[in-house]
Amino acid sequence: MGEVIHHGEGDPVEEAGRLLLGLKLFILSEIMLFGAFFAAYFVLRGEAPSWPPSPDFERPGLLLVGINTLILVSSSVTLQWAISQVRRGNASGLRRGLGITIVLGGIFLAVQIYEFLNNGFGIADGVFGSTFYSLTGLHGLHVLTGLVLISVVANRARLGLVNRDHHTALEAVSLYWHFVDVVWVTLFLTVYVL
Amino acid sequence: MNDRTSPRRHLLIAGAVWAVLSIVGILVVLGLQILPVIASREAVIMEHALIVLTVVSVPVLMFVVVGLAYPAIRFRAGPGDQDGPPIHGHQRLEVFWVLGTFAMVVGLFVYGSVGLLDIRGDQQAFLEVEAHAKQWEWDFEYFGAKEFHSPELVLPVGQRIHILIESKDVVHSFSVPAFGVKQDAVPGRLTQIYVTPTIVGTYGVQCAELCGLGHTRMQASVTVMEPSDFADWLAQMQAGSGG
Amino acid sequence: MSVSRLPALRFFGPGLRRGVLGGIIGAAVGPLPVILLTTAGDDVNSAHVLALGYVGVLIGWFAGLGAFGPWLRWAAGREADHAAAVAAHGHAGDWRRYFRFTTDHKVIGTQYMLAFLALFLVAGSLAMVMRLELAQPGQLFGTDTYNTIMSTHGTLMIFVALNTIVGGLGNYFVPLMIGARDMAFPRVNALSFWFIPPALLLILLNPVFGGFDSGWTGYPPLSRQANLGEQAYLLTFITMGISSIVSAVNFLVTVARMRTTGMSWMRLPIFVWSLTVTTAIALVATSVVASALTMSLFDRILGTDFFRPTSGGDPVLYQHLFWFYSHPAVYIMAVPAFGAVLEVVPVFARKPLFAYRLAVLSFIAIGLLSFMVWAHHMFVSGMAEFFHIPIMATTELISVPTGIVFFSAIGTIWLGRLRFATPMLWVFGFVWSFLIGGITGVYLADVPTDIALTDTYFVVAHFHYTIVGGMIFGMFAGLTYWFPKFTGRMMSERLGKLHFWWFTLAFNAAFLPMFWLGFQGMRRRVADYPAELANVNLWASIAAWMIGLSMFVFIFNFIRSWARGPKAGPNPWGARTLEWQIASPPPVENFDDLPVVTAGPYEYGGRPVMPSPAIDPSGASS
Ligand code: HEA
Ligand code: HEA
Ligand code: CUA
Ligand SMILES: [Cu+2]
Repeated sequence: MGEVIHHGEGDPVEEAGRLLLGLKLFILSEIMLFGAFFAAYFVLRGEAPSWPPSPDFERPGLLLVGINTLILVSSSVTLQWAISQVRRGNASGLRRGLGITIVLGGIFLAVQIYEFLNNGFGIADGVFGSTFYSLTGLHGLHVLTGLVLISVVANRARLGLVNRDHHTALEAVSLYWHFVDVVWVTLFLTVYVL
Repeated sequence: MNDRTSPRRHLLIAGAVWAVLSIVGILVVLGLQILPVIASREAVIMEHALIVLTVVSVPVLMFVVVGLAYPAIRFRAGPGDQDGPPIHGHQRLEVFWVLGTFAMVVGLFVYGSVGLLDIRGDQQAFLEVEAHAKQWEWDFEYFGAKEFHSPELVLPVGQRIHILIESKDVVHSFSVPAFGVKQDAVPGRLTQIYVTPTIVGTYGVQCAELCGLGHTRMQASVTVMEPSDFADWLAQMQAGSGG
Repeated sequence: MSVSRLPALRFFGPGLRRGVLGGIIGAAVGPLPVILLTTAGDDVNSAHVLALGYVGVLIGWFAGLGAFGPWLRWAAGREADHAAAVAAHGHAGDWRRYFRFTTDHKVIGTQYMLAFLALFLVAGSLAMVMRLELAQPGQLFGTDTYNTIMSTHGTLMIFVALNTIVGGLGNYFVPLMIGARDMAFPRVNALSFWFIPPALLLILLNPVFGGFDSGWTGYPPLSRQANLGEQAYLLTFITMGISSIVSAVNFLVTVARMRTTGMSWMRLPIFVWSLTVTTAIALVATSVVASALTMSLFDRILGTDFFRPTSGGDPVLYQHLFWFYSHPAVYIMAVPAFGAVLEVVPVFARKPLFAYRLAVLSFIAIGLLSFMVWAHHMFVSGMAEFFHIPIMATTELISVPTGIVFFSAIGTIWLGRLRFATPMLWVFGFVWSFLIGGITGVYLADVPTDIALTDTYFVVAHFHYTIVGGMIFGMFAGLTYWFPKFTGRMMSERLGKLHFWWFTLAFNAAFLPMFWLGFQGMRRRVADYPAELANVNLWASIAAWMIGLSMFVFIFNFIRSWARGPKAGPNPWGARTLEWQIASPPPVENFDDLPVVTAGPYEYGGRPVMPSPAIDPSGASS
């Protein structure tokens, strides 16, 4: 042994690699988290005579939530667009992309909350309410987290700290955001449509 | 350690010791009865399985014991000793070990599956009883000519009994050590077991799943009678519940 | 510039004091929303207050510790405060950094180690009380008291088993063994530790909330009727889960990304491999139990019906989710012990680890298989019947990779030059005890015998032989082996050997008879039993207290040797892995120059060897 090796200490590429790998691993455990709740949903629904089990509740209509789904999906697109901008070094494009993403995400949350308030059932209304609200609620929490993270990045972008060769955090956040998005699509298809 | 003895000689000695210990051990095990009371057809199967598992375990146990004891005695470092030989592994031995243990496991699995299917048996039964569990007592319901409840379980000897188990509150477990059988009582679903008592007598029913304060005390008794006595008991109970 | 620079506020500078203060404030503020709701007329109860208060505590606690500082700076886009970063790392010989949000992996490792050794003693003391109740038929104290003690013992010990080796020895030695200066995410590492004090405090307080009597498994519906103490269990368990997920990510990134030049995967010390597999298991499995416990919690505080049969819920669903984590969890306990043991063997046999590659493969196989066997805890639970046979197959299959660990250990000592220093004794103790535990595990994997044995003391004996005989023995092997490295001093061999023999004999004397008790049909989780089992139980109790007493020898040896044992020097055992090639205790930066690795970790014999061990072969020196 002997010669000095600076093993990724302060080396941005190395640091970026670690951050992204770490996030991917974390997302793996997040998948298992949602997996467990989905498992519970399918088991309980499978055991129920009908869905919803009691006739005095009905599942939320598809129109509103359908539009909302489109909104969330498009927010993923705008975020990706923002990244393509920063890669090109277009700061204003980056800021615009992030801004739009935040707005879309905000709208999604707002609509969710509106729906929660206008559903004819609550979380304590049998396994139907339990699974519905815990799944959508859990996802909503993730959207909120994502929004906070994106806002942080946006703030740093505003200060010009996110640029062509320093945008790891942005990529990490987008990874997370896409994940939250995929979860929603699954959730939409299984909890609302199916 | 004395380097006189060659590696293969070490193997031979250790192997011999292992063989002797294993044979002695197996002979001892074959003489054992593991379950204290064996009062049902199912318990017989389980006792047999316990013996077989123990017989299989003896050579494994002895292998490891010898594998520890022999080096502890023969391979101690002497004062001047440097390092041992740089052996990193032994392909053939490794393959042999993996396949060997795998074969044992497959054997145990096949044997276990056969035993399980044997325990489950067919779905015919001479008598059907419902065991109701609630914190913290058992209640047994009989059907037929007239339904009635009984705080103690009474069964005819030598007949296949179908016991349906349900719980009113939390998870309990219907357990009769003398029969070997055990089955959780789960609120919201009906669970079942088949059992064939083989010896007349009175045994204990106990709750085997933690169910709160009274878990320790949640016991009852099961009496196994000659079919004739059982018929009398049945008639008498039905009359009683009629009055 | 942070407030802590103003002299007036230094007393409450970021650190433990402010952490506690923050926690208290959080406890007060957290529940406010509910209090307001109450006034708004919704039905609110102590359950809500406890839950939210606890969340408040966590937030306040971390804020007070100064955990968020740098992240907030970063979010605000301000320059990273390097002075603060260095301070967070701490200076050598500054004892205060052991009580701060320090980012040095060696400090965090020590924090884990000491915290969970202490917890081990507390939980063990509870076991002593249990054995007092079980010493003779009849009851000394109420069933609820017994159940609470039993459940708390089990739960705390599970935490001990999950964290002592991984969090303690793992954090301390993985970076050293792979030639890194620290873990990949030092602050996250500190975060994962500081989750633990408030969590443990909460569960230790559970008697205040009426205790909990659902056992460590917390099966509903019982867990729903249980006292508020049940919630201490749920919240603590969830927090521990979050902590271990976070640290799992950290470990995996560290091993994947921070190995020094030449440290190829096939040159990784086996201990590092074991932790890699372990943390991978933890990463995937833990969030499932967190979900199960969360649903259980919701059933209690939000009125959901996940596990409430009367309104469509399913208690067995909980069992599936719980065991889907909790079986892999037993390998989270065992595999690090395998790693520690196989790490120690070559050093004291002066021979390369036998079948290294096969051992690595076996770890991976165990990791994969451990996800396919959970239902062996549910053979009598009323789950679908077609499930029994496949689960029996996979469960018994795990014997094969686990057997390889034994094969590898025995292959290594065969023809070796054995030196029976204390760590080696613990290895031998491990192989014996864990073998008993493992083989009896196969009895339980076999459905016909499991039906007879489940929920009896046979199971209790089985898992004490696996957890104590496996994890605890492995932990002692690791602790005594690495003690010179992390303290810079030798432990007393004489006391070490005394502790080993005393503990091992007492342990076997206490738990072997429990297999017999199981055959007699003695149920677990009962405070009373039939008179004919009195003698054996009394014997087991006395032996158990002997185990307890033996621990005083360890405590004494541990403290005294740390304070004034003979200086160890860098490499007292003549080991070849990296951590032994630097000073003991290691400098704050670990390596001044990162080493370049040119050979495997166990090249004993063959190539030029390390100076032969400083201990004399009989190991009698102290
Ligand atoms: C460190 C913890 C640990 C470990 C490693 C194990 C290892 C194993 N366990 Fe154990 N187990 C527990 C901790 C552990 N267990 C706990 C805590 C419980 C109770 C939970 C509760 O209800 O509270 C439990 C309960 C438990 C049950 C449920 C009992 C019941 O409630 O009905 C079962 C059933 O299958 C089981 C099986 C096994 C098996 C097959 C292994 C195998 O991994 C063992 C494999 C090892 C060997 C077999 C020995 C070495 C092998 C060889 C030398 C090769 C040759 C051998 C053969 C071919 C047989 N365990
Ligand atoms: C790491 C895991 C672990 C460990 C190490 C132990 C250690 C011990 N356990 Fe435990 N045990 C469990 C995990 C563990 N246990 C689990 C998971 C359960 C199941 C709970 C449930 O069913 O839900 C259980 C249940 C359990 C039972 C069954 C209870 C029942 O079903 O009713 C019993 C009964 O004998 C028992 C006994 C013991 C004993 C005597 C020890 C001894 O080895 C302890 C040795 C003693 C010490 C280590 C303490 C030494 C120190 C002192 C005595 C004084 C010093 C103290 C201070 C300085 C504060 N345990
Ligand atoms: Cu009913 Cu235990
Ligand atoms: Cu298991």
